[in-house]
Amino acid sequence: MKQKPPLLFLLPYLLVTAVFMVYPLINAAILAFHQTNGPAARAFVGLANFRYLLTDPTFGQALANTSIFALCSVLVQLPLSMGLALLLNSGKGWARGLLRLVLFSPNLVGQIFVGVLFSVLFTPRYGLVNQFLQALLGWGLEKQWLNDPALVMPAIVIAALWLYVGFNMIYFLAALQGVDKSLEEAARVDGANRFQVFLHVTLPSMRHVVVFVVVTSLIGSYQLFELPLALLSQSNGRGPDNAGLTVVTYLYDAAFITGDLGLGSAVGWMVAFIIFSLSLAQIKLARVAED
Amino acid sequence: MIERFPFGKAPFWLLAMAILSTVLVFVTQGLVAVRKADLVLATSAANHVEAYQDMIPAFERKHGVRVSIQLVHSRALQTRLQNAILAGTPVPDLVEIGAGDISFFTRGPLSDVGFVDLTERLEREGLRKRLVEPRLSLWSSRGHVFALPHDVHPVQLLYRADLLEQAGVDPSSIKTWDDFIALRSRFMKDLNGDGVIDRYLIDLPIGEAWGLEILLLQQGVSLFDARGNLTMNQPKTVKTIAWYVRAVEGKERIATQCGWGQSLYKAMRDGLAIFYIAPDWRTYAIQMDAPNIKGLFKVMPLPAWEEGGRRTSVWGGSGLAITKSTERPELAWQLAKSLYFDPAKLGRRFQFTNIIPPLMDSWSLPEFHTPSPFYGGQKLGLLYAALAPDTPADWSTPYKTRAADKLADVFLRALEHYRVHGNDGLDAVIQRELVRVSADIERYMGRFVLSRQ
Repeated sequence: MKQKPPLLFLLPYLLVTAVFMVYPLINAAILAFHQTNGPAARAFVGLANFRYLLTDPTFGQALANTSIFALCSVLVQLPLSMGLALLLNSGKGWARGLLRLVLFSPNLVGQIFVGVLFSVLFTPRYGLVNQFLQALLGWGLEKQWLNDPALVMPAIVIAALWLYVGFNMIYFLAALQGVDKSLEEAARVDGANRFQVFLHVTLPSMRHVVVFVVVTSLIGSYQLFELPLALLSQSNGRGPDNAGLTVVTYLYDAAFITGDLGLGSAVGWMVAFIIFSLSLAQIKLARVAED
Repeated sequence: MIERFPFGKAPFWLLAMAILSTVLVFVTQGLVAVRKADLVLATSAANHVEAYQDMIPAFERKHGVRVSIQLVHSRALQTRLQNAILAGTPVPDLVEIGAGDISFFTRGPLSDVGFVDLTERLEREGLRKRLVEPRLSLWSSRGHVFALPHDVHPVQLLYRADLLEQAGVDPSSIKTWDDFIALRSRFMKDLNGDGVIDRYLIDLPIGEAWGLEILLLQQGVSLFDARGNLTMNQPKTVKTIAWYVRAVEGKERIATQCGWGQSLYKAMRDGLAIFYIAPDWRTYAIQMDAPNIKGLFKVMPLPAWEEGGRRTSVWGGSGLAITKSTERPELAWQLAKSLYFDPAKLGRRFQFTNIIPPLMDSWSLPEFHTPSPFYGGQKLGLLYAALAPDTPADWSTPYKTRAADKLADVFLRALEHYRVHGNDGLDAVIQRELVRVSADIERYMGRFVLSRQ
């Protein structure tokens, strides 16, 4: 007998999704083709918002900054997480649990806290980072981490490293514990060194987790907002010469500082498109590698 | 009872929490309704609240009403007010907003501005001529005043009186910025011999525009004019940026950036810089947050750019706006006048804030002539009020934040050039960058079809 779908039970979920997901999405799509000034004033501008974005050097810079941050996440942060996971995986006893907690705990406090904390650490002359560099290298006491365009992105990456390395390490650690030890043992018996075992046995075995972590890191990187906003609060999250401006900060600035919800919406759709394309490419590449 | 609940323990507790929270919401909403105020004023300045709480009971007694003051963080106030006005949800009757925030609300057609136009009331009741006129610039859009200025915020310099005295420098002899720079060799020092300078002449920001803006306003250069035209690209801007670049970098350097909050107060205590830019509001913040520097600092007027030139500038400001959706606009206007235009109350307000009100009649009150023990017995009120009439206009437009950011970008490009090439071609680089960013801002302004209506 064919069963009826339990529509009554699904109704609350469908209602919430329709009101809080579908309707805002449709409205955001419509908004992207308008210029607004509150609910009273709205003018249809066609593709002008998108045209403006594609020719605005500031948006280009925001996109470049965010892409650099995303690259650093994948090329610096994830290898570090993997390294720490390998280190912890080989260790035993209570120290392993403690280290895992210590490395994961920055993630519990969130981006705003870390932003505020690092804005103090990076203070010229009195900041801990500057004083440490001066004591160690005799250099860096007056470094303007958050006011020198060349140092702003490294400062954001360092703060993000502290925040996320431990978080991603947990995923890798879980994946490492699921790797078939007999395969690694067999490789070693066949004469493979530690690096070869990692590259040809361990890494392929945790391929799915690696793809997941890379994709979520990329998505998270393109959504970066709170950390630079708190770290560079004196310049509304953009940093000197827009060196710390991310696409979401650009969106926030357009929609909520200037009040142009239409432009903000257009940025949102462009970010969504970029994230979707990158994620798709990443998953396809992983499948090709698997085949 | 829990055991007898047919769907298990977890659903029981979920149901219990749902019932409890519903009851709580109804009870608290009911209480709020009972105590609902006739007027609600929202502000982000804690010291303003302190002053108003002292002033409001008399207003309540006089009008037989209840006034509620809400203290909201500045970012939250701006965002929530913007969103509430955009969404048409309830807003306070009166709001005190920051200088940078007014322009968001005055974008678009005048009829869409969410605040009551106060221009006619100010004229009709003869209030305008009692105010420092340039201060209205900050709260005006296209010739219409949408908020009452809370303050004048004249800028002076705070200086380490003890260190100046030790060096035998009389602050009254520093009349121009050239005189100021001449002090360089007497104060710039590596005190502990580690190769790092430990004492600078002045604290100036490097990645932010406020230092430059203050120095430009001192010379009468506002980023925009009264009609909203971009006016930042001027010969004086080029000259000032070049001056600023040399002040923060290279062999003629006189400045460092001391930052904000505790790092600033530590720098002040250590004497990292001798002079600090100080509008009236900053003297109160320092007094409250850094009691351990009591007696070390005094104030003096800004050095002029030329002999006999303007000795002050402006920095920041708050304004009181009446929202269009208020049900009691007349009562709100009466409250605004009571808080801002009653000279007798403004003396008390000064004691709580060190802030000079724009109402000129109030400056003769005894509170403005009281010596300040924190600032070496100087009569702060008198010193700031003397400069207040000379403060420059600082016109407000929706694009001002963007223009200020771009000004900082021009400075940074100039600084980059100076680090490599020194003075060679510096002015040309600044000029080229000003042209570039001006075109960028004008292009941005030009795309708003609603603003043209």
